[in-house]
Formats: sequence, C-alpha cells, structure tokens
Amino acid sequence: MIKTAQDMKSYKKQLKEALADKFLRSALDNFNTAYRENRPIVYEGVDFEGLKNEIAAGKDAALPHLIEMFEEFKAKAEAVGAKVHTAKDAREANQIIAAIAKDNRVKKIIKAKSMTAEETFLNDHLEKEGFTVTETDLGEWIIQLRGEGPSHMVMPAIHLSRYQVGDLFAEVTREKQESENIDKLVKVARKQLRPAYLEADMGISGANFAIAESGALGLVTNEGNMRLVTTFPKVHVALVGYDKLIPDLKSMFRILKVLPRNATGQAITSYVTWIKGAVECASSPGSRKEMHIVFLDNGRLALAKDPVFSESLRCIRCGACANVCPIYSKVGGHKYGHVYIGAIGLILTLFYHGRENGRAIVRNCINCQACKEVCPVDIDLPHLIKKTHGVILHQEGKKPVKNFLLSTVMKNRKLFHFILRKAYLAQKPLAGKEPMIRHLPHFFGKEHRFRSVPVISKIPFRDQWQQIRPQVVEPKYNIALFVGCAIDFIYPEQARALLKLLKGRGVQVEFPMDQSCCGLPLLAAAEEETAKDVALQNLRAMHAGSYDYILTLCASCGSHLKHNYLKMFKSDPDAPENLKQFTDKIIDFSSFMANVLNISAKEFKAAPQKVAYHSPCHLCRGLQVTEEPRRLIEIAGYEYVPSKDEDVCCGFGGSYSVDFPEISSEILKKKLDNVQDSDARLLVTDCPGCVIQLRGGMDKRETKIQVRHIAEVIAEALK
Amino acid sequence: MKNPDLIQQMRERAEAVQAIVSIIGTMKDACQYAVAITKKQGGRTVVAAGLKTKEQDYLKNECESSGLRLLEFPLRPHANEIHTSLTIVDGGVAETGTLVLDSTSEDVRIATMLAETHVAVLPALKIKPDTTALENELNAVLKADVPSYTAFITGASRTADIERVLAIGVHGPQELHILIMEENKA
Ligand code: SF4
Ligand code: SF4
Repeated sequence: MIKTAQDMKSYKKQLKEALADKFLRSALDNFNTAYRENRPIVYEGVDFEGLKNEIAAGKDAALPHLIEMFEEFKAKAEAVGAKVHTAKDAREANQIIAAIAKDNRVKKIIKAKSMTAEETFLNDHLEKEGFTVTETDLGEWIIQLRGEGPSHMVMPAIHLSRYQVGDLFAEVTREKQESENIDKLVKVARKQLRPAYLEADMGISGANFAIAESGALGLVTNEGNMRLVTTFPKVHVALVGYDKLIPDLKSMFRILKVLPRNATGQAITSYVTWIKGAVECASSPGSRKEMHIVFLDNGRLALAKDPVFSESLRCIRCGACANVCPIYSKVGGHKYGHVYIGAIGLILTLFYHGRENGRAIVRNCINCQACKEVCPVDIDLPHLIKKTHGVILHQEGKKPVKNFLLSTVMKNRKLFHFILRKAYLAQKPLAGKEPMIRHLPHFFGKEHRFRSVPVISKIPFRDQWQQIRPQVVEPKYNIALFVGCAIDFIYPEQARALLKLLKGRGVQVEFPMDQSCCGLPLLAAAEEETAKDVALQNLRAMHAGSYDYILTLCASCGSHLKHNYLKMFKSDPDAPENLKQFTDKIIDFSSFMANVLNISAKEFKAAPQKVAYHSPCHLCRGLQVTEEPRRLIEIAGYEYVPSKDEDVCCGFGGSYSVDFPEISSEILKKKLDNVQDSDARLLVTDCPGCVIQLRGGMDKRETKIQVRHIAEVIAEALK
Repeated sequence: MKNPDLIQQMRERAEAVQAIVSIIGTMKDACQYAVAITKKQGGRTVVAAGLKTKEQDYLKNECESSGLRLLEFPLRPHANEIHTSLTIVDGGVAETGTLVLDSTSEDVRIATMLAETHVAVLPALKIKPDTTALENELNAVLKADVPSYTAFITGASRTADIERVLAIGVHGPQELHILIMEENKA
C-alpha cells in the first residue's frame, strides 16, 4: 500500500529512512548521471526544442476541445464495435470495470502497465470484488508481488536490487534463483506469466493516445505483454485519461519522437500498437473482442479549464522529470510523489489524490529547474509546484508561522534590513574572529551542521556605497547594480570586486538605494502576493529607463527578476508599464563582462591555477548562460578543469537547505566529491547563494579548495 | 533517399536494436532460413502467416524433411508450442529500423507475440524513410470503418525493469530476424 506522508513530521521520518537505503541511493544517483550523460546521444540529429514547442502548442490547442475530441473518438470507436464509457472519478471507473467483468463472467484478469489504473487503485477494487488480478509488466508484477506502489512512472521497480527481486522470485517459484543473472530473472517472469495470458478472461491496459479522428488507441511498449493482454482474453478494457485524447495521427507521431527518447533513451520502443474497435478474438462468444474503453475524468476536465494548471495536462508520463531531479535521486519515488512521481507528481497529487497526500511532498522542491529543462512538453514544473503549494496553503487556511513572519518582514524593506543588521550583532559571539560560524548553537539540531554558516557583514554593501561610488565622465554604459540580499549583507566584497573590474572601462554604475530583496524567497515559500509587492518596490526603485543594463551578481536574483517577474504579472491588469523594459535589461555578471565589455586576456596576469566551476541552476537553466563564465575563467588566465555534474544543483535553494538539511547536505556532498576528484584548487561559481553552500561545506572538509564568486577571482587576476 | 540507402539505414538501425538482418532474394530463401534457424535453436515447430499457397507448401516440405512441424491455423491450441514464426510484413521505417505489420488477424498476432523467434520478411520496396512518409497509408487503415490492430515492431521484446539492465526477450519474441527481400536479386 502507498503511504504518503500527510504531515511534515512523518515525512521527515520517511525521508530519513529513504536516505539510509544504500542500494537506492547509489542506484538512483548513477541513474541520474547516466540519464543526463546519455541524453545528447539519444537526441542527436533531433530538434528537441522545436519538437517540444510544437507538441506543447498542439496540446494547448487541443485542450479546450477535449469534449469534442472525445465525442469524435467515441463515434468512430463505437462504429467498429468498441463500447465507450465515461467515469467522473476513480471510484466510478473502478465500478464500471468491475461491472464489465461481472457481465462477462470474468474470473481472472491480466493487466498491462497503466498509470491511470494506478491512479484509481483499480487492482485493490477488483480484488475486493473477488477477481484475481495479475500484473504482467515485469516491474509492475514485481511490485504487485511485494504489495507496493510504483517508485517510477516508467520503471516501477527501480528501487529494488536484483537480489531483492531474486529473493522474491524464489518465494514465488519455490526454487532458488541466481539473482546475479538478470537475464535469468527476466526469464522467470516470462515462464511464470505465460499461462496467465491463456487463462485470463479479461485484459486491462491503459493507452498512451486516443486518436480522435480515427477512434484508435495508441500504445507504446517494450516488453510485449500489452500485446498479449489485449489479444488472448475475450474482454479488453482500456482505461484512459481524457488527457490522452489527441486530434490525429500526426500529433501522435510527433510525440512518438520524444516519448521513447525521454523515457528510456530509445529512438522508438519495441512495440507501438494501434488498436481500433472490436478485433477478431476466438475466445469470445461472438468471435469478436468485447472491447471497452473507459475515459477517466477525475478532475481532468476542470484542470483543462484552469488558466494556470491546465499546462500539467500536457504530460505524456515519460518520467524524465524524476530522472534528472536531484531530490528524487536521493530519496526515491516512494517519497517523491503519491501515485504520480517526480516533479509532475508533486503537482498532480493535489488534483487527483487530494491535498492530504500533496501537502508534505509539495514542499520538497529545491527549484533547480532540471525537470523543466528536460520536459518534452514544456511544462514549467518548478513554477507549478510552487503554485500547487500556494493552493494547498490557501485551502488549508492556516499558514505556517514562518510564512507569516517572512511576509510581514519582507513587505517592509526598512524593517527587513534592520533585522539583518541586528543579526550581525547576534551572530558575532558565535563566530568570534572567524569568517564563519563553525559550531551552530544546539537549538539548530545536528542535521544542520553539514556546513559552516557565513557571518553577516559588519558593514553592508549599501552602507559602503557612498564611499566607493565610482564617478565616470562620459560613460559608455550606464548600469544599475541589483545587488541582492546575500551580497549586500554577507558578501559585499563580491560587489566590490565588480567595481574593481569595471574601473577604466567607461561604465557608470549606480546603486539604487531603495532596492530590496528580489522576492524569490517569498515565491519559494508560496507567498506570491508579497513576492509581487516586493517586485513592485524593486521596479519603482530601479528606474529601468535610466540604464542600459541592470546587472546582478546573483544568478537566482537574475533569473527571478528576468522570468518570474513577468510570470507573476502575466494576467494582472495592474502590471506595471515598465515591466518588460526592466526584465529585458537584466544581465548576469559573466555575460556582461564577456559579451558586452569583451574583456581580453591581455589585461590579466597568467594565474596558472586549476579552477573548477559550479554552474548555478538559475544561471545555466534559469538564464541559459553556460559558456560565458567558463570562457571568462580562461580569459583571466586560469586553467579551467571540468568536473563531473557541473550543472547539477549544489543543494542550497535558499530556505530549502534549512527546511530539508538532510537532503541538502547529501546533494552538497556529491557536488564537493566531484570537485575534489577534479584536482582543482579553486572552485568558482556565479551566485552568492551557491557560495554560501559550497564554501560552508568545503569548510567542513580537510581540503585546501577555496570557494569564490567568479567576480572575485577575475578581479584578482587583473594585471 | 534511394532504395539502396534506405536498405542500408534500415539494416543499421535494426541491428542497433539487436535485430538480425539479412538480405534475401525470394520467399524460398525465407523458408529455408526459417527452417535452418529453428533447427539451429533446437526448436520443433514453425508457423507462417501471409504466404501464398505455393510458398506454404514449399515451407511444409522443407519442415518435414528437417523433422519440424509446420503448425496450422488457428493457433490458439498451439499457443504453448510455437518456436519460429515466419511473416511477411507490410512495411519498414528506415529511420528507426521498424517493421510495420497489420496484425488484425488473431493468428498473426499470436504467431508474432508468442514465438521464441520471429522471422520477418520485409520486401525492400516497402521501406519508407520515416513515419511521415507512412502517415497517409497508416491513416487509411486507421480511419477505415473496420476494426484493426496494427503493430510497429522494432527489435526483440525487451525490458530494463531490474536495475535498469537491458534484457532481451521478456514476454514477446527473444529474437527478431529481418530478411530484406530484394526480388530482382533472384
Ligand atoms: S525543480 Fe529541481 S528539485 Fe524541483 S522537482 Fe524539478 S528537478 Fe526536482
Ligand atoms: S511532466 Fe514532463 S518530464 Fe515529467 S513525466 Fe510529464 S512529460 Fe515527462
């Protein structure tokens, strides 16, 4: 049975157990890396971005016509002997299917893999009604025998080792199994399940596509069991979500170019099958299959009309959003979804399985954007996860104290900054003369001790500004610096490094004093209203019209200002007029130095130091800047040494690392291990948030690897 | 793309997914191939779908002289004893090494789903470069007001459900042999 945590306390307990599962950890970590490494090979010669946009547009165009497409499908399918049913929810779907079974005097049922049947807990229902149900997909069979739910949408038993499977098969066959040999284990399933196909009276499948123009179902599979399930028994029932309706074959072919690639790294699966109507079937009294298709609503039709969440119905269940998720790879699918797993599971659970099951898991997203990047139907998953969190908070009507405080403080910049200044005084005794707090007070709990914590700066950048403000006559560029809280109050030296680098280049920098926090932490806490409030303050403060660029040294601020500001005000009639002008001018440090100022190697002394690079999520995926920082490192005379998984999250995610320190520290550990393996002496990145995490973690290790913001190391290399 | 290039691409892509590809001239070659592979694998039975009467008779003779049994339709009673199935497929997609097989007949389905080894004859002229080139043809089948069961088959049946290790031959055939038939060669 699926036991999804319904509160944070039990969720934390479950997470701890998952983190202690050694097999799970190494299997999923390896999978995460292998999947990402294999992707470019799988997509060679295929225009992923182009297809993605076409598919998303196609799905969006079709969604408002679900009912029309359904009617068309129904007419075509019924004309050739299929019976089409509709179910408003899971219970009704299960009842319809049980009734079909009874009408046809069915005893034994075999099933092919169907996430939709998992969604309705169909097996439980049918078994309660007295039917014998046998799953035939290898992974599904394994988890059925174990009484578990799937831990991945494509590979349901990915959480198990061959030895666990071998032991299980030994029990089933009462014969010892050579667990080492996976081929032999697979053959056990082949042999054991063969008789089941011949004995069953009813086969149940899902479908990947319901093609409106022809009334045919499209199914994409590998093992061959679905073909047997739909051939031998006299009855075939296909359980299909309304979201599987597509207008035509062309749409299916388009999706077929990405679905297998994304799901299993194949150009196409072993089998793609189109079933239309009641085909020949010798075991059926009329020699024609009893063919039933049950369309499941369960919230889909309402979702299709939702201006924000309809996007989630584009999902084709490829599973990739879990494959690349750093958190999924740490805790596994049983702790990262309810029935639907991975990023999309954090969203759909609320709609299909209720907020009780969604409320804890929805908080476990670090907003690294990895899922969004690989999603073949262009769902903005991290964004919808936050929106889902917001809906749950709203529905529950009681906000966590943290949200209340955060919201109150952040609305008022002066109060916020006052508190930060006070924090300096409170922290001072903890740090002593050290630049970091190495021993947190005990009330923090030991799970927070995986990193040292930076000290709030004595004089924030904003208080230094009057003294250091450069004066440029006849400037080539006028830029405004958006400094962000971390640099303003913790690392002012990073902004000073920028000023040093800009000297003599004709760049007039201004620091608009009324700028506040970018607002990302508010969005992360699902406080969108206050996030918008803060955004308006910044829009007013920054006077975008007066500058050529608004430069930021913080990748997270940068991508939030550039993309989320637009998103937050998307359908807001009161959206500020200069919004687009503002977002267009946002630029990150590396792009400004490398592309706008075109700084050249001549200005730098050779600093033959080996430098590893951490690519911040919000730079490489958020702002899509990947090449510039690496180029900059080399221009400045350093030797850039690539390390593994450079573009994988560092585990910071702002308050994420405080809310989920156990996971944050595991993600960080892998990151730092990879850097240490690269024999670099210096680790460079372009986000002060990442610096907090990486430097704090490195400080706890016995290594000499320094962690710096890219602006600092580039400035230091100047002749 | 010219036909020889399509054949070459078809071959490469199919081999990349563990299909075993040969070029043959006539259906006689195909029958001999099916008998030989069955004997080699220690199988005892062969079933064929889509052959002309003359070809079927030839195959029957070949089987008998090799001590093999050619199973007759309907296949349900033989479900547990099909070793090799020989079929003539309706098309190929070079881009992915895919075979297209109208499987509306239940016996064709049983033959190609339960056999240990599937030997598929693909007439060279029926190879299309990609799915787009196949769209109209397939749409004609799907849109016709008759029930149908159409299959794309690419390589042998497979799974990676245990530790993500690729294993060939789960529930469907363990081997797929593709015989590309260039009739003018004979
Ligand atoms: S944004 Fe990152 S952490 Fe969140 S679901 Fe996507 S991949 Fe996982
Ligand atoms: S949300 Fe996107 S990536 Fe995730 S399963 Fe659905 S289609 Fe695949």
